[in-house]
Amino acid sequence: MRDKPVVIEVGDGAAIPDPRDEGLFTAWRISFFGTLAIIAYLVVFRPDPYLDIIKFLPDGIVVTFQVTFASIALALVLGLIAGLGRISKNTFFNLAASTYIEVVRGIPLLVQLFYIYFALGHLVRVPDMVAAIVAMGFCYGAYMGEVFRAGILSIDTGQTEASLSLGFNRSQTMRYVVLPQAWRTILPPVGNEFIALLKDTSLVSILAVSDILRRGREFASESFLYFETYTMIALIYLVITLILSKILSNVEHRLNHYERR
Amino acid sequence: MFKKIVLTLAMLLCVSSSAMAEKTIVFAVDATWPPMEFVNSDKQVVGYSIDYMTAAAKAAGFTPVFKNVAWDGIFAGLASGKYDAVCSSVSITEARQKVMDFSIPYFKVRQALIVAKDSPVKSLADLKGEKVGGQIGTTGYFAIKGAEGVEAKSYDEVGLAMEDLSVGRIAAVVCDDPVAANYAMDQYKETLKIATIIETGEVEYYGIAVNKGNTEVLDLLNKGIESVSKTDYVQEMQHKWIGQ
Repeated sequence: MRDKPVVIEVGDGAAIPDPRDEGLFTAWRISFFGTLAIIAYLVVFRPDPYLDIIKFLPDGIVVTFQVTFASIALALVLGLIAGLGRISKNTFFNLAASTYIEVVRGIPLLVQLFYIYFALGHLVRVPDMVAAIVAMGFCYGAYMGEVFRAGILSIDTGQTEASLSLGFNRSQTMRYVVLPQAWRTILPPVGNEFIALLKDTSLVSILAVSDILRRGREFASESFLYFETYTMIALIYLVITLILSKILSNVEHRLNHYERR
Repeated sequence: MFKKIVLTLAMLLCVSSSAMAEKTIVFAVDATWPPMEFVNSDKQVVGYSIDYMTAAAKAAGFTPVFKNVAWDGIFAGLASGKYDAVCSSVSITEARQKVMDFSIPYFKVRQALIVAKDSPVKSLADLKGEKVGGQIGTTGYFAIKGAEGVEAKSYDEVGLAMEDLSVGRIAAVVCDDPVAANYAMDQYKETLKIATIIETGEVEYYGIAVNKGNTEVLDLLNKGIESVSKTDYVQEMQHKWIGQ
């Protein structure tokens, strides 16, 4: 059906392990089991301070995941709307979506986080966590918008033409013909954005949200063990993102399998 | 021509030797703590501590250089030798004394509890189950953590905590009393007030932190602080920065 395979490049997620790599020593295995081994070694042989650091972090890990999942949910909704807006024939809808993406992509994430967090405080009284999630979701919604747009455009126009000629209207075509096919192209970059977002949630620690990094900093500021604390934080982030990228890689492998059939 | 070069060299020598005679001490300052140390509208680091150390430097004969750094990690930078001393309203505590040395005290503070203007809260004990903010790694933050049933929330800068308090995201802020006064009576006088000076907390003294065993710098600092503390300049600075 297609002229050439569509590849959406998204650069800032974790590297996706190649599922066809069957060797015993893959980059993923070396990093994953290496990281686990280092953590285990530190905790067992140097429980003071490493075990104390690990004990200090669990609620931070929970908060990091809460912020990540809530933000990605918001970003997916905003992204779908923005993506549809970008290809919409309705001038107003199109312009609004394009302006949103243009503005958000032009401002550094950290600046936006600060801005939305403190601006929101003056408008409505919401808890800090909600403010951080809204800020993250708003920013990532724009990145997602571009992913959705590219995914939708990757579906051959012949499909739309056929669907329209069979009597579907535009929104039915989108809902029953284009989107069900587009999600296969969209899913891998969305997963990638998910990992990128998880890493970027470390920025919300600036906004006094008690995520992994903030918890670690609190520990370090009290114990003065900066090196040890940040070592542990880096290792924990690494374990989380490596697990996620493995899951993502497997999902992608399945999609490709389906495609090759 | 030759004469000119010799003259220039001689002048250079003079300048450098006179500069060498005076030891330069680089102070790390987190300039987000008005009125003790902050950045004014001319982008200069100013405040009570800065004036105090400048006077001490004159008395003891060293050249002070103030370097604006972030509070979180300020002691890590000291340990790794990025600067000689930390002059940033550092309260002398036992935990800190285990990892660094302190000069003789130069200022006395207590911890103040700041709340919204219409709040009935009188003490930390009234804040069970509420969020209370403080700057990360400060004695104010440790006081919150030590209070039973209060959820401690750490901020990078005390100003961010004040902003969150003024929009109602947290119930109170704990910080050093001159800083509390500065925020509650000046910048946020419409929305915030000082509920109490925390009575259970002990009196704290600010000292200059140096690396353990750095007696060369410590001796100079002590000499300077001691001679300044005996002068009327202290009252003058109190009046200028704190207004009492």
